[in-house]
Amino acid sequence: MSEMLDIRSLSVKVNGKLILKNINLKIKEGEIHALLGPNASGKSSLAYAIMGLTDYEIANGEILFKGTNITHLPIEERVKLGIALAFQNPPAIKNVKLSLLLKRISKEKPATLPSFLKELSVTSSFLEREINVGFSGGEKKISELLQILCLKPQFVILDEIDSGLDIINLNKLMKIIQERLIDNGVSILAITHRGDILQFLNPDLTHVMLNGEIVCSARDWRKPWETIVRCGYEKCEECKERELLTD
Amino acid sequence: MKNVKNAKSANYLQIDHIIKKLLSEEGVILRPSPEAYEEFEDIRRYLDQKPEEGYMIWIKKQIKHPINTCIAISSPKIHQRLNNIVIVESGIEAEMYSICNAVKPVLCGVHEGYTKIILKENASLKLRHFHKWGIGDEVITTSEFILENGATLHSSYKCISPLKKLEVGSLAVLNSRASANFEVSIMAKNEEANIDETMILEGDNSNGIIKLRMISDSNARIMSRSKIIANGAGRGHIDCMGLLLSNDSIISSVPEIFTKNKGATLTHEASIGKISETEINYLRSRGLTEEEAINLIVTGFLGEALIH
Repeated sequence: MSEMLDIRSLSVKVNGKLILKNINLKIKEGEIHALLGPNASGKSSLAYAIMGLTDYEIANGEILFKGTNITHLPIEERVKLGIALAFQNPPAIKNVKLSLLLKRISKEKPATLPSFLKELSVTSSFLEREINVGFSGGEKKISELLQILCLKPQFVILDEIDSGLDIINLNKLMKIIQERLIDNGVSILAITHRGDILQFLNPDLTHVMLNGEIVCSARDWRKPWETIVRCGYEKCEECKERELLTD
Repeated sequence: MKNVKNAKSANYLQIDHIIKKLLSEEGVILRPSPEAYEEFEDIRRYLDQKPEEGYMIWIKKQIKHPINTCIAISSPKIHQRLNNIVIVESGIEAEMYSICNAVKPVLCGVHEGYTKIILKENASLKLRHFHKWGIGDEVITTSEFILENGATLHSSYKCISPLKKLEVGSLAVLNSRASANFEVSIMAKNEEANIDETMILEGDNSNGIIKLRMISDSNARIMSRSKIIANGAGRGHIDCMGLLLSNDSIISSVPEIFTKNKGATLTHEASIGKISETEINYLRSRGLTEEEAINLIVTGFLGEALIH
């Protein structure tokens, strides 16, 4: 399998403060990676840096996507290459209908949209609402996934796609992620706090991030997960069983 | 293109000072306002003096389609002095589209328009007024609304193309149970714009909303005043929002509410800011360029994206 994402010695600053330190991460085509870590450890920042959001200044290192150096590429150029991010807390865009945005961004045929809606159990009236205005936590996740599907990406970052979802909707979302993304060979980096997501995704690699650094990368997600459940994140760094994979 | 379509379907089409089309329909009397002043005593009651130019639309029966008016400037240095009057009879529900524009960008014309709108008891009017001018044009547009008991008005005015100077003003008097919703959306670029909206809640149980959306860019200056006075036990709300797209532009927003009636409820909110970087980044993460993202946010702010 060829390399999809290759992050080399990446350090990132926001407002002059170093928030990601020497990150190395390789994700191959079709691979699923999970990223665990306590709140404010830098998980979302890594997602934003990969996406190229403007506040995230690259202090050192580089990001390669399918062999192309994207370290300084504008956000929309990264999207064109096939990178997509489902935001944890997407902002509200007042007075702009979700349907208008989907129409503008969609690489899918218009006929595909109704089937997405059916699979996500949402009515077409949902599309007529203003983007993320008054959306519940679950509705935001559905809207994010809908947008991601319309972009037909090759690599997707799911930033806490599970938060705010009840178990029924979570299962629906996971089914769609499986059928529409994983089964089509899309690579995934899933940021999560939940064991059931890890169980569902069964990632090829699971990483733990602490204070802006990846401190553990394990092939079996159960190893770091059980340590975290048993001892908390603070014990992660001291954990005797931790693996650090270099390739 | 939109303007051409509107001209074709217009009930009233005036270019410079010449009336090109005057198309009445069943239940609607349509006349040039100077003629109407001579012909109808009722019209003389509403107008202080005989108008120079403009239209009179008197909607007497229920109509199925919106009434369209189109007033354009196509020659250089034209000064239009329009005096329009619209009457909607009791219980009638009507809709009106009104477009005023310059057909070329540098005609340096003056469009001075005064429109008086009377909604009789329980009448209803949806009025959409679009302006599209050139960078050398000066525009003064003033409206006066009289809403009799139980009348309903939804009025939206939009001017999103840059011109030299813009003055928008309206005065609405709402009698008992009357309801009015005013929206004024302006995008100013290298221009001076003044907005002055006043609503008087004269009758009990009347309610009114003034909603201003202002975008100021490239050395533009927007000064706005909006006022609701409640003489009766009515409810009123002013909602003013401004977006600054450049550091050399100005927006001033002064909302004012006034009442001596303890049964009235008046509120206001106002804010001015810049476009959120988070919103731009979010839309760019969906593949839009920075310019496309800003355009989408701006059109949303002006209420355009909901229409599309």
